[in-house]
Amino acid sequence: MAGSRLEKIGTVFSRVRDLMRSGVIKPTEKPIWYDVYEAFPPKRPPLYVSLNRRYRGKKPDPVPEIFYEEDKIRAKFYEQYGMGVRPFDLSKSNFVSTCQRFVDKYAELKSQSEMDDSALFEETAKALLAEGIILRRRGSSTVSVDLAAAGSQDSVLRLKLTDLLAEQQSVGDDGKQEPEEQTPHTTQTS
Amino acid sequence: MLDQNLLVGAVSQLSLVRHKRRRLGKGRMRTALTFRVTSKQASMATRTLTRGLWSLQRHRNCNYSTAASIKSPPQQSDQVTEEIMKLPLEKPDYFRVSELFTVKDLFDARVHLGHKKGCRHRLMVPYLYGCRLDQDILDLDQTAEHLRLALNFTAHMAYRGGVILFISRRRQFGHLVESTARECGEYAHTRYWQGGLLTNAHVQYGAGVRLPDLLIFLSTLSNVFCSHVALRDAAKMNIPTVGVVDSNCNPSLVTYPVPGNDDTPVAMELYCRLFKMAIRRGKDKRKQVDLLYGLTAPSSPSP
Repeated sequence: MAGSRLEKIGTVFSRVRDLMRSGVIKPTEKPIWYDVYEAFPPKRPPLYVSLNRRYRGKKPDPVPEIFYEEDKIRAKFYEQYGMGVRPFDLSKSNFVSTCQRFVDKYAELKSQSEMDDSALFEETAKALLAEGIILRRRGSSTVSVDLAAAGSQDSVLRLKLTDLLAEQQSVGDDGKQEPEEQTPHTTQTS
Repeated sequence: MLDQNLLVGAVSQLSLVRHKRRRLGKGRMRTALTFRVTSKQASMATRTLTRGLWSLQRHRNCNYSTAASIKSPPQQSDQVTEEIMKLPLEKPDYFRVSELFTVKDLFDARVHLGHKKGCRHRLMVPYLYGCRLDQDILDLDQTAEHLRLALNFTAHMAYRGGVILFISRRRQFGHLVESTARECGEYAHTRYWQGGLLTNAHVQYGAGVRLPDLLIFLSTLSNVFCSHVALRDAAKMNIPTVGVVDSNCNPSLVTYPVPGNDDTPVAMELYCRLFKMAIRRGKDKRKQVDLLYGLTAPSSPSP
């Protein structure tokens, strides 16, 4: 069957139509899809578009950014509280995360009372605490807390070791002499 | 009996023909006989077979249950075939493909998620809804419309007995695509595409090869992130294409593009299911209409 292999000129339909009009393709050889295409054409004719044109300079981004009003609240939440308490469960389509609950509560309180943004923020945190969600702050205070915690942890460890030693020595005094000799050796090497 | 000998000869020839996988010439309507015939000898064999069957029937006065697949309908006139072909084109949604999915289904299957801003193709910009934190979001209203058009076209092609080829070079979904094609009785190609498959078919596969009438791309990209060769080849061979185009694909050569996500398994399963249902609907409707026009007079209306 005759055909036209010029995919960069016109569409599939226009080529076949013109070939039929000129008589190269007989009406008996009409392709099956021709009538269907004629009855239900696509929204855009499938013309080949060459992409050679190089743009000089920056073009404004034609695709708009998607931002919502709640994004401001979300940004503040993540800045203050870090990652939410509960991990996201993406398998459920109706899952509500900690952040989303915060945002919903914030919107509720905003509609009810007339308060400043930062005050409203605190109010929302308190309200969520009342509901049972504990939000741990993530800020400069936590750094010193960590160091102190580390220091205390070390001291706790040391305490435990000395306690253990004291206990073992007391046990050794009560019991036989042989294990008493062995245990100090093992503790020294460890 | 002479008739029986003719029958045996015809059947053996036809089985040989089937093994060689010769196909019908383009444009001719497939008869209800499920195997393909090309040469004059083979078509003569068909006629002999049918004549033999009919004469045997007359002799024994019974219906063969085994001959269900090879029993041909009473000879349809050209006018009847024309009517059958024209019938679905009059209504805008003859196969009711718009009932197959909703925009919520597309959203749940994460069809609206595109690639990052840096991967965006210039020609996909009209199909984008926006960009959320550098990830492109496709416009599901547009996608729904395009998908309806694509499914409608597919159903019509299945109704007209067209050969449909599913193409996807994503190895993650190769098995899914192949099983979809098998279930709806069509074909799939999810392996390496040899250069001359469509353009050099008559040399590679022999003289009487029938090329596919529709290519469905479940991902228009090949493994190296360039456009699949079959897109360009189909345009060369004047074969229409239906394709799922993601935000990093070139939609210009696809006849019926469907802007959508082609990376998520949920989305791919949705597309496979939708195309399978559309093809099945087309084929079932055709069987129904054939039976109707076969049993009653051509002038009677169909439901």
